Amino acid sequence: MPSRFPPMASTGSSSVTDLGSARVPDFGPLVGAYLARQDWAQTALGSFGESNLPAEVIDVEVLRTEHPGMASVIVACRDCTFHLVLGWRAVAVAPGVLGAQSDAVLGPSRDSSGDVLVYAALADSELVVDLLEAVTAGAEHARRGRVVQSLVSHSSLVYDDRLFMKCYRVIEPRPRPEVEMVRRLDAAGFNHMLAPVGHWHRNGRDLALVREFVPGAVEGLALAHTSLRDLLARADSSENGATFADVGIAGGDLGPEMRRLGETTARMHLALAAAFGTEVRKDSGPPSAVVAGAVRLHGDYHLRRVMRTDGGWLVAGFGDDPLMGAAAGAASQGEGRFASPLEDVADLCCSLQIAADEAVAWQTRSTRAHARLLAKGWQDHNVAAFLSGYLATSGIETLVPGSRREVEVAVAELLAARAAPPP
Amino acid sequence: MADRQLGDARWYEAAVFYELLPRSFFDSNADGIGDFSGLTARLDYLEWLGVDCLWLLPFYPSPLRDGGYDVSDFMSVAPECGSVDDLAALVEDAHRRGIRIISDLVMNHTSDQHPWFAESRSSRDNPKADWYMWADDDQGYADVRVIFVDAEPSNWTFDAPRQQYYWHRFFHHQPDLNYDNPAVVEAMLGVVRFWLDLGLDGFRLDAAAYLSKKEGTSCENLAGTHEMLRRIRREVDHHHTGAVLLAEVNQWPSDVVDYFGDGDECHMAFHFPLMPRMFMAVRREQRFPITEILAQTPAIPDGCQWGIFLRNHDELTLEMVTEDDRDFMYAEYARDPRMRRNVGIRRRLATLVGNDRRVAELLHALLLSLPGAPVLYYGDELLMGDNIYLGDRDAVRTPMQWTPDRNGGFSTADFAQLYLPPLMDPVHGYQAVNVEAHRRDSSSFLHWLKRMLEVRRQYPEFATGSLEVLSADNPSVLAYLRAPRAAAAEGEGTDRRLPAPSGPVTAALEGAEADGEGATVLCVHNLSRFAQPAQLSLARWEGATPVELLGRVPFPPVTQAPYAVTLPPYGIYWFELRD
Repeated sequence: MPSRFPPMASTGSSSVTDLGSARVPDFGPLVGAYLARQDWAQTALGSFGESNLPAEVIDVEVLRTEHPGMASVIVACRDCTFHLVLGWRAVAVAPGVLGAQSDAVLGPSRDSSGDVLVYAALADSELVVDLLEAVTAGAEHARRGRVVQSLVSHSSLVYDDRLFMKCYRVIEPRPRPEVEMVRRLDAAGFNHMLAPVGHWHRNGRDLALVREFVPGAVEGLALAHTSLRDLLARADSSENGATFADVGIAGGDLGPEMRRLGETTARMHLALAAAFGTEVRKDSGPPSAVVAGAVRLHGDYHLRRVMRTDGGWLVAGFGDDPLMGAAAGAASQGEGRFASPLEDVADLCCSLQIAADEAVAWQTRSTRAHARLLAKGWQDHNVAAFLSGYLATSGIETLVPGSRREVEVAVAELLAARAAPPP
Repeated sequence: MADRQLGDARWYEAAVFYELLPRSFFDSNADGIGDFSGLTARLDYLEWLGVDCLWLLPFYPSPLRDGGYDVSDFMSVAPECGSVDDLAALVEDAHRRGIRIISDLVMNHTSDQHPWFAESRSSRDNPKADWYMWADDDQGYADVRVIFVDAEPSNWTFDAPRQQYYWHRFFHHQPDLNYDNPAVVEAMLGVVRFWLDLGLDGFRLDAAAYLSKKEGTSCENLAGTHEMLRRIRREVDHHHTGAVLLAEVNQWPSDVVDYFGDGDECHMAFHFPLMPRMFMAVRREQRFPITEILAQTPAIPDGCQWGIFLRNHDELTLEMVTEDDRDFMYAEYARDPRMRRNVGIRRRLATLVGNDRRVAELLHALLLSLPGAPVLYYGDELLMGDNIYLGDRDAVRTPMQWTPDRNGGFSTADFAQLYLPPLMDPVHGYQAVNVEAHRRDSSSFLHWLKRMLEVRRQYPEFATGSLEVLSADNPSVLAYLRAPRAAAAEGEGTDRRLPAPSGPVTAALEGAEADGEGATVLCVHNLSRFAQPAQLSLARWEGATPVELLGRVPFPPVTQAPYAVTLPPYGIYWFELRD
């Protein structure tokens, strides 16, 4: 299947601006104190309460020189490498633009025009719009952009409710797994994800990833809670109390949606196998009768990583994706792991259980026991629906050749392993 | 020719239609059957309610084996409904009030009692021998589905007099006309001319998808059918400007748009798949059933408009949903097998929603704010009930309930003489649910609906504006913008727009009290039975103040941050976004 978007713009550069030039401010003296004030940098470094940090500017790319100026700055600080997008304006102008965003200010400096104030560029709406053009090498333009989330590893921006950018803050010393995953799945023709539009990298460092933004999309967890709300509310009704048998016929039955999500998940695994190949399984996992080989796993697959759109389900997150909410941001992107695709299946099923547990926790003490019973039925019903969709997908038998019963047992074992307390 | 000085030729784009059965509306002569004189006597009420166009179900002479859709004379009025003169008087009075009238036109077939069929079946060589579709066996068109699966085993029925089979897409007593025969085409054009000359403002074209037949096809949506519709349109455009053709085509929107042609076929077509999905969305408490079908709805030509509805005289059709969804709808809305009919549910709005007024208001708010011309069904403005113990679709065709008096004020005939028994159950019976009581009760659903129609009329964007579904983090909340087309074209997020027609606001609206014209309207609906929060993506309206349309209450201004709203159960907010 062709990608829904034209080929991704990939912007790369190895040039380093002459730091001695008077055309741009000298960022070196400013970044240490600035990083010391940033929660995200403190978290990444595991260092809190310092007033200054030993930071060294190691790479600068000037994105625009006329005011407001903008540059992409790589900073080495202890064991971490940070990416800062910095802007500057004349000192008389900058405060009016930044308003109350004093946290964004790095400090005064000079450029060829005179005294300037240097600040985080994402605090300047004009530079936010310009950044998209820079990241996509001019392939994309927007009228408006806004920062929707700031996490440890990146900032997230939305442009015109049409495009979504992750601008990475913490730079990894290797290709970012999320970028690799998105690009290779796109090349393999996997369309059930937010399509990549642009990729910005320099000197082997991934700096930003731009993907489509789907208005109206809702994360899977919200749909799960909608369904649970309906079921558990029926249990509250004295006239029409829900029973175990109502799980599959509740108005908010999630079963058909989970069946469709199962199909999407199977297609993702087939695309992962096509993009990364399969390996002979090395880890302990489900028996070989159930799984033919190991595939590159999504690795962090749960209801906050998938989104329901008007066109069906999309896999939205492959790492610390802000669209999936703040809680997901804590999940780190590990090395790409090859294992049974049922590991991802079990992760998703496990998140159904977590959703059910959350819904039960919101109940009153007197209704909780009955709610727990219903929630367990809801979970089993939706796991079964998910597996039905997964196993009914054409081609998945090449990765998961086992019978339905064998797969159910294998998934149950994986779920039990996740539920077991760590040794 | 009747007076057509009611506005411009594109009046239908902004109109609110009101569908009624003349036989069930009001009986003026105490014979137990509603009639045109009775309907004329009730125009005061319809004018008060604020509808723009009446859609009359078939009033032609008929053996009434299919609610009048089995016509035995196309150019006359069933005696029990009155006379052609009575209809002319009705049209004149309605036009005087600014109300238009369209009628059903059953083109696909006739009754087997029609003189055309009587002649056609009499021999194989009479002048009308091939006005219908005859064959020596019943093997033709084998791929064509049977529509009334509950009643008909085949689309062919053997006719003893002619010793041949005849083709029928509906009941066996409704033989299909043969539109390959030019004489049939001319005859039907004569029918069109006759009624338009009398003053009718157009037709709802019954079963419009089936006119042409061709072996090896599904006999639906064929080129010959479109050619016939273009032929009628030319007739209308040349001689009866302002008349509207409204197609009944129960198909996917992508197929139905063909019935608009290049703006040279039907002016309007019903959007069938949207209807069950509104009910589905409420029970699932999530917006996707609606937003999915809107996303699949193509743009339509300038000068065309969708007809949208909640309920009508037929069953709530489930032909345009998946098997999963059909099972869901039956489980949620028709647990009693008596409630089911063909591939659908024969219930009225009030009973479908468990007589929950909040849901009825929510569904009507959707009906009045989504792209298209809303079509109300008589009695639904009272939340009238149904009677599933009546046969076929008579369940939803019981007499209009006017007063708490005998026969609900519908007729002074003896009860046993009535066309259908009025509802008398404790919940929906005419003793409690009737026009007189609900007009007197200023907090009734009837008054609420009248008020919503007034608000809708103030904002032409509801009729002809663009549609943009907004991002909301809560799947139970459906929010969208209806904006003037010029403004929408300058906006952003173009990929979610335009199921509605394009083009200028009608001259009728320009001349009317369209004091909200040029405004952008924000509609927010809670599909859940519980209170819900939502955050809406409105950043590009930063600085605008949402003013609630019913109370003119200003809400906090929009900022760059997601706009937070909290909605009561099944809550509705309509806002004007004011700079």
